[in-house]
Amino acid sequence: MTQSYRIETGGLINRNKKISFKFNGTSYFGYEGDTLASALLANGVHLVGRSFKYHRPRGFFGAGVDEPYAVVQLYRNGETEPNIKATEQELFEGLEASSVNCWPSVNFDIGAINNFLKIFLPAGFYYKTFMWPKSFWYKIYEPFIRKAAGLGVASTKHDKERYEHKYEYCDLLIAGSGPSGLASAYSAAKNGAKVILAEDKPRYGGSLLTSDVNIGNQSGKDWADGIISELKEMPNVTVKNRSQVFGYYDHNMLVMSEKVSDHLPKTKKYHPNKRLWYIRAKEVLISSGSIERPIVFGNNDTPGVMLSSAAKEYLKVYGVLVGKKPLVFTNNDSGYETAIEFKKHGVEPIVLDSRSNPQSEIIDEAKNLGINIKNSYVVVAAQGYKKVKSADVATISEDKKTLGKIENINCDCICVSGFWTPTIHLVSQSGNKTKFNEEIDAFVPGVSKQNETTLGAANGVFTLEETLKTSFEKGKELSKKITEKDNEISIPNVVEKKYSKHDKFWCVPLPKGKSYKRFLDFQNDVAVSDVEIALREGYRSIEHVKRYTTLGMATDQGKTSNLNGLQLVSEIENKVVPSVGHTTFRPPYTPISIGAIVGREVGKHSKPTRKSPIHNWHEEHNAVFVDAGVWLRPRYYKRGNETLFEASKREAKNVRTNVGVCDVTTLGKIDVKGPDAAEFLNRVYTNAWLKLPVGKARYGVMLREDGIVMDDGTTTRISENHYHMTTTTAQAANVLSHLEYYLQLVWPELNVNVVSTTEQWAGAAIAGPKSRDLLQKLFPKTDVSNEGLPFMGYVEGDLFGVKARIFRISFSGELAYEVNVESDNGRFMWEKIIELGEEFQIQPYGTEALSTLRIEMGHVAGSELDGRTIPYDNALEGLLSKKKDFIGKRSLQRAAFVAEDRQRIVGVVPLDKKN
Amino acid sequence: MSLISALNNVHAKGQFGDFEGKDDKNLLSISETTNLLILQIVQYKSSNSSLDNMQVDGLNLRDNPSLVSSNDNTRILWNGPRNWILVSQKKDTLNEIEQKFNDNEFAITDISHSKAIIEIEGKEAKEVLKKGCPFNFGELEKNQCLNSTYNGMSVTIDMLDDDPDKFRIFGLRSFGESLYHSITDASLEFGYIAK
Amino acid sequence: MLHIKCPHCGMRSQNEFSYGGDATVKRPELNKEVTDQEWDNFVYNRVSPRGKHLELWQHLSGCRQWIKVERDTATHEIFKTYKANEEIA
Ligand SMILES: [Zn+2]
Repeated sequence: MTQSYRIETGGLINRNKKISFKFNGTSYFGYEGDTLASALLANGVHLVGRSFKYHRPRGFFGAGVDEPYAVVQLYRNGETEPNIKATEQELFEGLEASSVNCWPSVNFDIGAINNFLKIFLPAGFYYKTFMWPKSFWYKIYEPFIRKAAGLGVASTKHDKERYEHKYEYCDLLIAGSGPSGLASAYSAAKNGAKVILAEDKPRYGGSLLTSDVNIGNQSGKDWADGIISELKEMPNVTVKNRSQVFGYYDHNMLVMSEKVSDHLPKTKKYHPNKRLWYIRAKEVLISSGSIERPIVFGNNDTPGVMLSSAAKEYLKVYGVLVGKKPLVFTNNDSGYETAIEFKKHGVEPIVLDSRSNPQSEIIDEAKNLGINIKNSYVVVAAQGYKKVKSADVATISEDKKTLGKIENINCDCICVSGFWTPTIHLVSQSGNKTKFNEEIDAFVPGVSKQNETTLGAANGVFTLEETLKTSFEKGKELSKKITEKDNEISIPNVVEKKYSKHDKFWCVPLPKGKSYKRFLDFQNDVAVSDVEIALREGYRSIEHVKRYTTLGMATDQGKTSNLNGLQLVSEIENKVVPSVGHTTFRPPYTPISIGAIVGREVGKHSKPTRKSPIHNWHEEHNAVFVDAGVWLRPRYYKRGNETLFEASKREAKNVRTNVGVCDVTTLGKIDVKGPDAAEFLNRVYTNAWLKLPVGKARYGVMLREDGIVMDDGTTTRISENHYHMTTTTAQAANVLSHLEYYLQLVWPELNVNVVSTTEQWAGAAIAGPKSRDLLQKLFPKTDVSNEGLPFMGYVEGDLFGVKARIFRISFSGELAYEVNVESDNGRFMWEKIIELGEEFQIQPYGTEALSTLRIEMGHVAGSELDGRTIPYDNALEGLLSKKKDFIGKRSLQRAAFVAEDRQRIVGVVPLDKKN
Repeated sequence: MSLISALNNVHAKGQFGDFEGKDDKNLLSISETTNLLILQIVQYKSSNSSLDNMQVDGLNLRDNPSLVSSNDNTRILWNGPRNWILVSQKKDTLNEIEQKFNDNEFAITDISHSKAIIEIEGKEAKEVLKKGCPFNFGELEKNQCLNSTYNGMSVTIDMLDDDPDKFRIFGLRSFGESLYHSITDASLEFGYIAK
Repeated sequence: MLHIKCPHCGMRSQNEFSYGGDATVKRPELNKEVTDQEWDNFVYNRVSPRGKHLELWQHLSGCRQWIKVERDTATHEIFKTYKANEEIA
């Protein structure tokens, strides 16, 4: 099998390695180093999809990230990924892809009927037609439109690929490895700066891969290769290809998506498919280059119409001819480079130049090669449905308003060059106030807001000599500020061709009596006529025109359409482009997989889990767990077929009749220490704390300054300057921050330290009429009688060689204790309690029984302390000290808080007093 | 008494991730560190004691951000202004401190059981840390420490060595399993030996 | 994501901090008689300026210190950060 559009030699592909792949079910082959696009073109495949609205046939328009058409569905290892640009997807063995946006097939698409009904689908059609009746929207209109207009199909299966994140810091982040990126990276690296150089394509070098220039007596590409291999050897430099810097955020944080395994048939197990880098850079150098813009003419969306730079790239990088009878339509010298490349490979191009008498070195070279050049000529319309067959061309008057007689030229592709648009997306995202440059008819960076500098074509500089000079200097200057080193770099000699001025011409007028669609936005099918309608209907702001017509809103984000849209609006409105202004550039610059954004936050990594040291015992004993914040707590211990209600009733009843044990490790614990600890607690809690003796616990309630109950719990005085505070599980972290706030900001004169000891202690609540008997067994050497350990008392004990703290506190109304041991001994304590409790019919109980017991006792729980209630609402007003001030006290005088009709917690007792 | 350390249930020995065909010496090694004395030491605001005179196990408390004072047994990590974390293999250091430090001037809190401790060693160790922690590890040197977060969990990271890089990662004990899963998951790409 | 200079620890990522509101509010002294209006001003009433704002942040997953940050609410530019007890210049 031969590839009829692949030239014999040349290109940067590896012709020794054939790669087979499938597109829409047909098998093809390409070579290592191909993209899906270049491999299809090599096989003469131009029809790859259908357009969004009219379902018109779609081919290839570009050769990279700017591609508006060739969006495909990709299949790999039984997985599928939608909306992949064929121009970016590298070929790998076994790749399978299919067209999107067409049904039943790309060759026969039912939706294309829209194309013949297009009179009904002008701008705003969806808004106007499908709005009424409103009830139709969700059920009828939306599903229909989605099916007809949708792009790819997202997989419904679990994504087996890994995606990872990484935080990185550097002195200079350089986005783009074209001439400016390489030069600035080189001089910065030589100054010892920590440099990250990011290139979105697989190959480094940017425009140097396709331009006919000479740097330091080498070809541009050889020079780029030399610089890259030198940079790769330097320890202070990270060079990354297949890595797109797609977002520029606050404080010089940029996000880059690295395709780690996207070009491979299969991701290595344990390796990520993509890695998202969060890069904080001291300085950012944007060397993102420029994108060629099209000239607008009739049927300019026909497959075979493409950017002239793309045709050149397919030829020089991939050795692929996009056609054998090419027409080059240009308003500047770039088109001639493409024509010359064709000619060199034995193909006869025709050049149509909208300029009347352009003169330059490169035009002379084209003439000398005998290329057919027609000046003051334009393409009026492409002819052909699924592929360009010919072009209607005509002369154009000097004022670009009048067309001459229409002639038809046979051709199989039309390569368009409407000059260059700097890629300023990152610049704009950084907050830079961009400005319009009349010289190049495009926006360029203006005043920086963050530490960002733009170089080369992205800055509107299109000569290599100037680009290299400023880039070497900038890299040096910025790195010198950081490293204070000043390494001399000699700037190499540059040989390049001088360009003549481009023609300020972007849209071919319609010939009389013709109504060709002239497209601005190729992916969203927005034509010149749509923008005209929007303006006629009164839309003025470019942001409104964008939304009404959907110009620039597709997945390519208008990379090739925005400026021509602006030109049109400014022309109709009789304004200059800068006053129309461009729409806001927002990240991401190019679509990013949802998987990459999510990273490893999937499955058990989606959120952290907190477990008590006794967790495994609960698991082994049929505990059913409940989320308490991020803690996992046993809700109940299931026996047989018990339901939640049956189990919790059994557990609660056993506490009332025998003894139960509950894991209370999750309760927040805070060590409050210092000479002023008592005074501090007295201000924090609503009740009095100055006279609590050592060895005693007290229940306390704390408020926020607005009078709302924040938390409750017991605090025990362990020694003179040491208190052990407990909080609810949910509020533990907030209470600690709250205490730190007062100690650091409000009462810095207090000598108090607070530190969380939640994890230091494993806790077990032992409750029920037989709890004291059990406690005595656990602590045979300790006096736990009512006298030895009275209500709200605290003693230390020895649990078979383990140091323990014993608190006599109860939230259930039963005789109850809480035992704490250091966490490593948590399970030991628990098993001892269960073992020695056996003779007392002990049962473990979970949070459900715990709540039941609390409610039966009339004690507040989480549901009451919900951040909306004051002490009165919870019948806690008895804990409000009248003698002292405390946090939130003043708020309790507010009219609403003393109103008589406030809701209040009440106890409910059955009338027969039995059940 | 039967002590169960924080990571006892998850830390299984063996080789994991992309280790095949790699020299054991080049793999990361991951282990749990147990049985350390860990104390928080805080000097109250009104304390006039000069830190120059306060020594623990021959080491001075120094109020320098990110600094770790260390000897073979003990490391004192800066934890905040006038706030340190002492980590020692010598349990009796607690007695020494309680004798030397007046409780009207210093708060000493035993948090030995509060932490899950992972040690990770190898030339890729910093890469593992970068996957979950937003700190600038390019700046971190041997005998420096920091507090930050790893996949949303608060951690203290102590750099023990730089040839190869070796770190001790302290997480809250209850988060131990999740932290261990995060660290080991991030290590799979490089391959690791769990010791 | 913001990059905040903790006056104790140095430059750190926003992930380590939590926000604490207006730093210019001063709590009335304990046991002092205050009018309803004064108390409301302390608890509730806040201006929401576009531009410079002195605010509290806690270096929660760091040194746990509350700090004051002078930040532009529109551009996120941070002009200066202060320790809790530092005089505001
Ligand atoms: Zn800090």
